[in-house]
Amino acid sequence: MRPEARAAAREALPVETTAPTPDATVREGEMEGALQVVGELGYRSASVRAVLEYSGGHRRQFYEHFESLEDCFAQAYETWIERLGVELLQAAASTPGWQSAVQAGLVGLFRFVAERPRIARSLFVEAQVAGGTAMAKREEALERLAAALDSVRNEIADDEAPPQSAGVFVIGGIEACVCEILAEGSEKRIWDSLPELMHLAVGSYLGPEAAEEAFEEAKSLLERDRVQLGGEAK
Amino acid sequence: MTRLELELLDGEVAAADGPFSSGEPLPRRLPRGRHGIPPNLVLEHQRLRLIAAMAEALAEHGYAGVTTTHVGELAGVSSSTFYKHFGNLWDCLLAAYVYTADRLCEQIEAAVEGREPEADPLSAGIDAALAFLAARPELGQLLGAPPPLEASAVVAARRILISKLASMLRRARGQGEVGDRPTGLDERMIDATLAFLHSRIRAGDAARLPELGPELAAILDRARRPVA
Repeated sequence: MRPEARAAAREALPVETTAPTPDATVREGEMEGALQVVGELGYRSASVRAVLEYSGGHRRQFYEHFESLEDCFAQAYETWIERLGVELLQAAASTPGWQSAVQAGLVGLFRFVAERPRIARSLFVEAQVAGGTAMAKREEALERLAAALDSVRNEIADDEAPPQSAGVFVIGGIEACVCEILAEGSEKRIWDSLPELMHLAVGSYLGPEAAEEAFEEAKSLLERDRVQLGGEAK
Repeated sequence: MTRLELELLDGEVAAADGPFSSGEPLPRRLPRGRHGIPPNLVLEHQRLRLIAAMAEALAEHGYAGVTTTHVGELAGVSSSTFYKHFGNLWDCLLAAYVYTADRLCEQIEAAVEGREPEADPLSAGIDAALAFLAARPELGQLLGAPPPLEASAVVAARRILISKLASMLRRARGQGEVGDRPTGLDERMIDATLAFLHSRIRAGDAARLPELGPELAAILDRARRPVA
């Protein structure tokens, strides 16, 4: 990843200046509860009651924090998608070399999906079911990740420049793959798609030879570190 | 695709027999009472109206708000008629998804088959797909949006569509059914293509989809492995 993209990722990191108050902790718990419940039951079947059963709060307190379950979900989505985006950009920014940075970002994403599948399902699948204000935040997050991918353009000769939409195309493909795996409930198998997605990302920018190299490198990573990464063997 | 299906997708239906056999378009809602239209045609007509209405209702209300009432109203059928055809909303969604996916594949195959001999099959297929989705953006939303938890069967239908389109992509590149590429690579390209087009439709750019043909062909061609 290029230095300017790394700097942007650092600047985007949230800075905690004060310890959270108990009320903020309750609110945070309610938001996480909303994501967990929506991820488990689906957006259409989720309820405030189910959220409170998960988070342990009181209905009155919930409505002091949020206008409705929809409002709670939208705010939870904004908070968590921002955190995840920053986390992925940070993972990429701390890895030298564009191709390795892309792989580090994907590994970070896959870890999140494998470790927190319900929340991931909320963020990637059910947020699109919900629509509304979350969609603007989603577009913003996707554009930021696409811009980070695009940082490699400066290293590519003009006559070999990738198509203009390459970043949006690749990020959309990664998101679609994650959605499919979450929809199937096979989140541990997400690691199997690492070589394919590396091929997609690298090939879309650098062409077939680099794509093959990235594919093989990702395969080697899985063969070497599969257990450590937390996925099931194929 | 039958004539009935083609015409329904154009918003008009002509019956094969009965009072509409002269070529008069069949109304979206069939006349009540004795109309001389064979019962099997009436049933097929209702089912196709419901399938078309599902995509429209989804585009209008989104997955969060769409109901069987919305679909029935748009199709001009009662609630009881809806449930004669489908067990619930998600059965109707699955039927609409499969139907639309089949139409998309047919359009692409017809364009590739009927292209000029010197024309590139990949571009011909892409152009056909873009024209299909530009004309009916609600169908692009149906095919592109991830289905909700309740509609898990659509996930399998989506996988079948992706697999068919990936196979077409390989044929268009002259790579045969599998070629020398590891499985999954072309499927990811198709996944990304559907997501890309869906994002354009959602952004209100459906009418400009046909302009994306060269860009999309360049992306789909860029990462391909050279044929050994």
